[in-house]
Amino acid sequence: MSHASPLSAKRILVVEDEYFIARDLERALRAADAIVVGPVATLEQGLTLAETQAIDAAVLDVNLEGERAFEIADRLSARDVPWTFLTGYDEWALPAPYRSASIVAKPFQVDRVIRAIGALIPDKGRA
Amino acid sequence: MTELASLQGQTTLSAPPNGLVPHDAHVLAGINRILQEALRASTEEELGRLCLEVAEDLTGAAFSFFGERRDSHDRLDHIAISERGWAAYTGNDPDYSRRLLPDGMKIHGIFGQVILQDRSMIVNDPASHPDRIGTPEGHPTLRNFLGVPLRRDGQTFAMFALGNHPTGFTERERAIAEELAPAIVQALLRKRAEVASRASQRRLLTLIEGIPQLVWTATRDGQWTWASPQWVEMTGLSVEQSMGHGWLAAVHPNDREAARRFWADASERGDLAMEGQLRDARTGRYRWFKTRATPVRDDHGTIVEWFGTSTDIDTLRRLRERQETLVAELQHRVRNILTIVRSIFTRTVENGGPIDEIADHFRGRLDSLARTQVVATQTRSGRVDLENLIRDELLGVGAIEDDRLSIEGPDVFLPADTAESVGLAIHELTTNALKYGALRHPTGRLHIAWHVEHISNSKCELIVKWDETGVPAMPVPPVRQGFGTELIREALPYGLGARTRLDFRGGGVLCVITLPWADEHVEAPNRSIEE
Repeated sequence: MSHASPLSAKRILVVEDEYFIARDLERALRAADAIVVGPVATLEQGLTLAETQAIDAAVLDVNLEGERAFEIADRLSARDVPWTFLTGYDEWALPAPYRSASIVAKPFQVDRVIRAIGALIPDKGRA
Repeated sequence: MTELASLQGQTTLSAPPNGLVPHDAHVLAGINRILQEALRASTEEELGRLCLEVAEDLTGAAFSFFGERRDSHDRLDHIAISERGWAAYTGNDPDYSRRLLPDGMKIHGIFGQVILQDRSMIVNDPASHPDRIGTPEGHPTLRNFLGVPLRRDGQTFAMFALGNHPTGFTERERAIAEELAPAIVQALLRKRAEVASRASQRRLLTLIEGIPQLVWTATRDGQWTWASPQWVEMTGLSVEQSMGHGWLAAVHPNDREAARRFWADASERGDLAMEGQLRDARTGRYRWFKTRATPVRDDHGTIVEWFGTSTDIDTLRRLRERQETLVAELQHRVRNILTIVRSIFTRTVENGGPIDEIADHFRGRLDSLARTQVVATQTRSGRVDLENLIRDELLGVGAIEDDRLSIEGPDVFLPADTAESVGLAIHELTTNALKYGALRHPTGRLHIAWHVEHISNSKCELIVKWDETGVPAMPVPPVRQGFGTELIREALPYGLGARTRLDFRGGGVLCVITLPWADEHVEAPNRSIEE
């Protein structure tokens, strides 16, 4: 049993419109040996990456400059890529289909996000 | 009743026949007429006059009255005086001339005995009767009298009295009058029930038409049987158009399926409620209504029909939605700003230095964020005047506008999140200028200017320029590796899609921030967020 991080060598998409939050996430993911795809700040950029990049899991800020990240979540789900929402909204403020999704509430500590992503990624394939 | 009615065609109400014949055809015709008229008469008095006319016709009396004992039992109120009775009056009492019925007569005299003794009475010599009390002024002289009690549930509650038969009353007239009595009671009570029910219906209808709700009735499968005027006014559908399933035409197409399901559940559930949109024909807009239906059951508990109301909840719903949006936005903003503060704190600490200096830096950045937040939440639009943002920042460090400091540009209102980042950038530049740049050196000049540039028909850019001159060369530009540099060179491009330039050149800092810009931000400072 090695001490390798569960995120080791995993490609994690980060979509977050706040620069400092995005950088914090990026840093924490790198520290967990993950490969960061992004970070990007807009819905459009997020959609492009979600469709074109190899991705193991994603962290999505719900509110992207006033736009909602649900479309990115849907695209990822269609590709069987798990994701977690970062949001300052309560669950009730999310549309019904997303209320039971994986959610990390803002303000958050980065290790909570790392744990939430770890929980999304299946163990199989790692020795 | 039907048998009696058929008699009417065969008989005439001419002179009463001779001889005492119970159930005489004339009497039956009279009874029939009384019961028929009970349906037609609009008031109790009108019915009473008709009863008296029949009685006068059948008995040959010259006048008559019909009275009812009050609940207090000691007084008699008039229900009616016959036409002939009114005509026979010769006095000057204006009340009688206006046919105002005398009420509250003391129960005494000859007529009083009918009630007190609870039996019919013939008095053919009233002048010498021991109970005689005389007649009111203007009353025709009473030559003879026939009074008959009227009973309800075996109790005498009223009476009618006939006067002045040409030759005096006999047992025959008494028999006729007694036979009429039950019909008169029945007709009176029926009229009373009808008037009361009409009044209660009118009250109910007034109530129904007076409330703001749309009211309707339907059968168990949602076939409408009636709709209130409010429904007609709101939807523009006539009552006829709304009958059956016609009302569905006013329901929003998206809600029609739910409306049908609503009725599919009707047989199982006690009452129903749903929210849906109805088209307001007056504006052509759909409005939200809360519709409830309550079953009306018969004596066996079987549902016979549904009584429904639709209440306008459109304004309520919009307010609720708006409130939810505002609360969600507030949550989002508060939580987001806390996350940003945490990030700024981490970076400030990471950049190192003595604890006092770290505290100063952090406080300054926090103050800058706070100022922007305050301004953004003070305006309804949530937008921030760029000029004020810059002035507040410079004013906060004691800089004054003179020939060494100029601030100029058109009125530009930044969205809150843009203002937050731009405000922080201005703060970093100001702090730097104060410590090492134009705001520290007497020879330094600072020129801050901005303008909006049209790139193509739909695209604009807001260009903000921070230009320091006259600053003696510094050995090491201190801001280069710090928070401020990262903010301007990386955070603004990342979050706002800005292009930025930050030069530490001889003579001071040059910073140019170019933001993508929607033209409308220039003109309308106070657009409310619900628009």
